[in-house]
Amino acid sequence: MSTAPTAVGRRTSENFRPGSKRQHEVTKLLPGPMLAIILTVLCALVLIPVAYIFLASVNSDIGVARGEFFPSSFSFENYSTIWTSVGLATGLANSVLVAGSTAVVSALMSIATAYVLVRYQFRGRLTILRGLLGLQSVPGTLMVLPVFVLFSSSATYLGIQVIGTQWGLFVTYLTFAMPFSTWVMVTYLRGLPRELEEAARIDGASNLGVLVRIILPLSWPGVVVSGIFAFLLGWNDVLFASVMTRPESQTAAVALQVFGASQEGGAIPFYGQMMAASLVCAAPVVILYLIFQRYLVGGLTAGGVK
Amino acid sequence: MSTDSLTAGKSTRRKSSRAAKPDPQSPDDTPRRRKGLSERNRPLWMLIPGGLLMVIIIVVPLLLGIFMSGLDLDQYSLRKWVSAPFIGVQNFVEALTASPLLHAIWLSVSYSLLAMVVTIPLGIAGAVATQNAFKGRAVIRSVFLIPYVLPSFVVATVWRTMFQPGSVVDSVLHSVGIDPGLWLNGPQSYWTLILVQIWASWPFVYLLALSGLQSVDHEVHEASALDGALWWNKLRYVVFPYLKGPLSLAFLIGMLHHINNFTLPFVLFGVPAPSDVELLPILTYVTSFQSFRFGLSAAMAFISLILIAIPLFVYLRAVKLDDAETPGGKK
Repeated sequence: MSTAPTAVGRRTSENFRPGSKRQHEVTKLLPGPMLAIILTVLCALVLIPVAYIFLASVNSDIGVARGEFFPSSFSFENYSTIWTSVGLATGLANSVLVAGSTAVVSALMSIATAYVLVRYQFRGRLTILRGLLGLQSVPGTLMVLPVFVLFSSSATYLGIQVIGTQWGLFVTYLTFAMPFSTWVMVTYLRGLPRELEEAARIDGASNLGVLVRIILPLSWPGVVVSGIFAFLLGWNDVLFASVMTRPESQTAAVALQVFGASQEGGAIPFYGQMMAASLVCAAPVVILYLIFQRYLVGGLTAGGVK
Repeated sequence: MSTDSLTAGKSTRRKSSRAAKPDPQSPDDTPRRRKGLSERNRPLWMLIPGGLLMVIIIVVPLLLGIFMSGLDLDQYSLRKWVSAPFIGVQNFVEALTASPLLHAIWLSVSYSLLAMVVTIPLGIAGAVATQNAFKGRAVIRSVFLIPYVLPSFVVATVWRTMFQPGSVVDSVLHSVGIDPGLWLNGPQSYWTLILVQIWASWPFVYLLALSGLQSVDHEVHEASALDGALWWNKLRYVVFPYLKGPLSLAFLIGMLHHINNFTLPFVLFGVPAPSDVELLPILTYVTSFQSFRFGLSAAMAFISLILIAIPLFVYLRAVKLDDAETPGGKK
């Protein structure tokens, strides 16, 4: 073996130690050049449009309309005008308010629901679990009209004005976030050992006490993930927000969509402002994701759904 | 609830979790193993807030929608929708015969499939390329997820700007001598939609493919190295079989998302959309909130629910509902 380092010699098991260079050769899936090509193509595919958002946001509208990728003139002016011209200040405030409260309430409600579903056996439990998965896929376009009618009826019959307020959006997002948030919490709570709860119970803790004092502190990564997904649902929605808001209760998504649509058919559209506003709307989401990346990716593949 | 019904509930659960092969007599079946503390005094009331919310905002409107699909409802009768004239299945007849619904269904399904056909190889390529450690892998993994993380309305706004006549896409193509024509109008808009959808959703396939790759045993790598398998054969015969499960899941969920996707076409093309991209969600929305034919729109929505039910049913059958220790189903 030592005299001739042949292929046979290389195959001794000591070469398969984890972390060794040989180990890397064993698990390698692609030859080097192939890897480089794939990575370059995919990164370019992603990064060129992303870079364009920023470059166009500091470009002049004429420059964007002429099809420049690299701006011929730089100006950050767009970032100061969008707050009033696009209505982004109001929009962002509403989005933060609605999506933020959706996130908090949905995380708290889903932990309670998931706790019962994971720890207790009762009739209909599997039906509820299956229902939670199924409800995630109910199309929004199917729901938007009946929910709209329901909310306008509450003004007619109960005298409660829901349409046009942030409350309507909040309740809607909360409900549509619940199935996925609960499912995330279900998969998370399954991993928690029962022993701590039982110890607390022997010490006389009530159900609610166990949930608040034991489960909640232990499962905060799950809570964060389910809260963030609820936040994203509210932040990204255009469908419900476009139907159920007035200009003063508009979310950022609708503000941007309306601004974009209103640019048609005039002189040169305010492309720079649109791109600057896009970047500002995307920033909170991307930052949230970067901070909690590890948990979020795990939550995604666990729940299997966006 | 009495103890009897408790154990009954438990055995129902065990049976139904093995619905594929009911085998109540299996040796490892140990009911009543853990009874006591956690089975008495169950806080089922904790289900009430979430349950109530879902009943009021999802189940009631769903039934309401089905009811409304039988009404002659327009902007005048909407305020008093309870007393609107009931016209039976007329809305369904109109939706199927005299509206662009069938065309919309065809567009939605074909576009979803075409987008999936491209995103799956892209996702696999991305996952295979980032499976092995190298310097900067963490950064590249984050980069790959950017399109998925960006809100749909942002993605659509950006591509809408890039695809404007004479804008950056056109100017790049012009420089290599291609005259692409209109992207956001006419027959080509269908392909524009597919392109943007692919850009936005391949990272999801990538994520699931990555989770599949991570389940490949190390022994398998060693075995194929011992056999001296070429990289392509190794991928094809050794690694890809592990991806079947995650990729079928990605396919089903991806299809559901594409068919349901409203934001992307809505922001990309605006309403009324060109007829080449008048997808199911857009058509339903326009029929409601632009033409104010609410009854007709509810009928369309109901038909689209049936369409969605097919992949959804497959998905719900395939997904694992219960803990890992119960052999309920496969993911």
